[in-house]
Amino acid sequence: MSKLSVQDLMDRIQKNLGVPWQSQRADGFADGIYSGNPDTSVTGIATTFTPTIDVLRQAVSSGKNTIICRETPFYSRGERAPLFWRSGAAPSTDLMESDSVCRFKRAFISSNNLVIIRFFDNWEARTTDSQLRGLAMVLGWDKVHVVPKGSTEPYRPGNTSFVLPSLSLNDLGGNIRETLKVRGMRIIGDPLARVSKVALTHGLLLVEDLQQILKEPGVDVVVGGEPVEWEAGPYFEDLVTAKQAKGLILIGDQVSEEPGSGQVAEWLKTFISEVPVEWMPAGEPFWTLS
Amino acid sequence: MAPSLLRAQSFGKLTAREVVSRIRENTGIAWRSPTADTFKIGDPDAAITGITTTFMSTLSVLERSVAAGHNFVITHEPTFWSADDVVRDLRDDPLYKHKVNFVEKNRMVVWRFHDHWHARRPDGIFAGWNRTMGWDNFVAPSENNFSHEYVVPETTFEQLASEVQSKLNVRSARLVGDPHLKVTRVGHGGHYISQCMAVLPKVDVLIVFESREWETAEYVRDAVAAGQKKALIQLPHEGGEEAGMEECARWLRTFVSEVPIEFIPSGDPFWRPA
Repeated sequence: MSKLSVQDLMDRIQKNLGVPWQSQRADGFADGIYSGNPDTSVTGIATTFTPTIDVLRQAVSSGKNTIICRETPFYSRGERAPLFWRSGAAPSTDLMESDSVCRFKRAFISSNNLVIIRFFDNWEARTTDSQLRGLAMVLGWDKVHVVPKGSTEPYRPGNTSFVLPSLSLNDLGGNIRETLKVRGMRIIGDPLARVSKVALTHGLLLVEDLQQILKEPGVDVVVGGEPVEWEAGPYFEDLVTAKQAKGLILIGDQVSEEPGSGQVAEWLKTFISEVPVEWMPAGEPFWTLS
Repeated sequence: MAPSLLRAQSFGKLTAREVVSRIRENTGIAWRSPTADTFKIGDPDAAITGITTTFMSTLSVLERSVAAGHNFVITHEPTFWSADDVVRDLRDDPLYKHKVNFVEKNRMVVWRFHDHWHARRPDGIFAGWNRTMGWDNFVAPSENNFSHEYVVPETTFEQLASEVQSKLNVRSARLVGDPHLKVTRVGHGGHYISQCMAVLPKVDVLIVFESREWETAEYVRDAVAAGQKKALIQLPHEGGEEAGMEECARWLRTFVSEVPIEFIPSGDPFWRPA
């Protein structure tokens, strides 16, 4: 039995965050313990993008009872999440209680005494965009990162530019697909367009994100997770038609955010030494027809 | 009466407003308020030269309409990249200016036809989808707008996905589940997880379009991990709804004969690297 309780873990996370911990805000910040008891002894920590049943099984088989995740175990960010109308209201309690998948998962969580901690908004509120940093590192792009002069934090939120040797949009997509092993990649733009300057983003991509990115001169390509397909998706199609940008490479939410969960694990290890901490990628949910 | 309307009528020319008035009469349902089905840009009382129906009034669709000689575009989805086509924050946006200039230079009119095309019985979007898939005879009885279900001849999940992708002319379908799973019951989910949770128990394969990746895809992945024989086809938004605007062009021709009417696809915007 480790001496570290779930409450101790929460306290240390809050102490080391570097910015004031926020919870229960009207615009989200639903971070905290989703299931489990604060008094439980932590036997080990798994960090992941989303606590799938497979990730929970892996955690159990490696002796870890605590999962720190970005997305929720029951498939909804809920009504209080920022921009929730782009996903939708949470299923009703009745529906959740009668649904066979939810019942199976709840039973697995409780029979294994698992603790699930959501850590999304507070992680993003830090002065370093570690989700971006993680993704840039996995892509091997750290050395081509454009860092504004005098910047003390290279991965300050908004420092999204990377300059690559000129290549075609098709080849850039192919290279990223190869490096990240992404199956469900989706691209908008002319495959033969020559591109060099990339804005790297992660997760849900909004029109206002694109407007901000394109204020930076010379951006050819935006890489991101997923757009709303009546918002940033057609906005980018129109940018290409109007010759105001060349390409959008969508790698999917999980692929774009998972390296950030690796960063969470690395960060936790700087102040947690009593128990093992391991990054357990959820993996991409999709496959595609050849 | 507005002077422009008077002028159009006095010359006997068809206007966008007159077309919309006929649409309202022909839907057979009460008009709702508020509704997204409004004019988004252009003069509704100007004479029209031809009608484009489309899923999404992208700049490319507007350009192709002009090339085809149509200045009236009926779109299912927004023109200015938000559910309500709010342009307040777009005034200084270079892309917004470009699109508005293009519309004005070519004297185009754009009207959205979303809420009432869905509210019609049968739902115009699904009527078109069923026809394009050739699945009219496979439709199973359904309870509401969002639970359109089918019983198709038994096949494998991979073969079904391949048929769906090819008939709908899309490239970017993304799949969850065992390719070799034997399937026969297929159903449309909604955009949201709450709508999909109600459908999945009744089908082998769920089809969704325009759904956030942390919702239904993760739910179906967990259903498979829990041992259920389930699968998911996640289509681009066009794959789920574009056929419904081809249906709209057919329907319009039954009561508008003065000008040409053509469905111009916005198409699957996505491709994968070669």
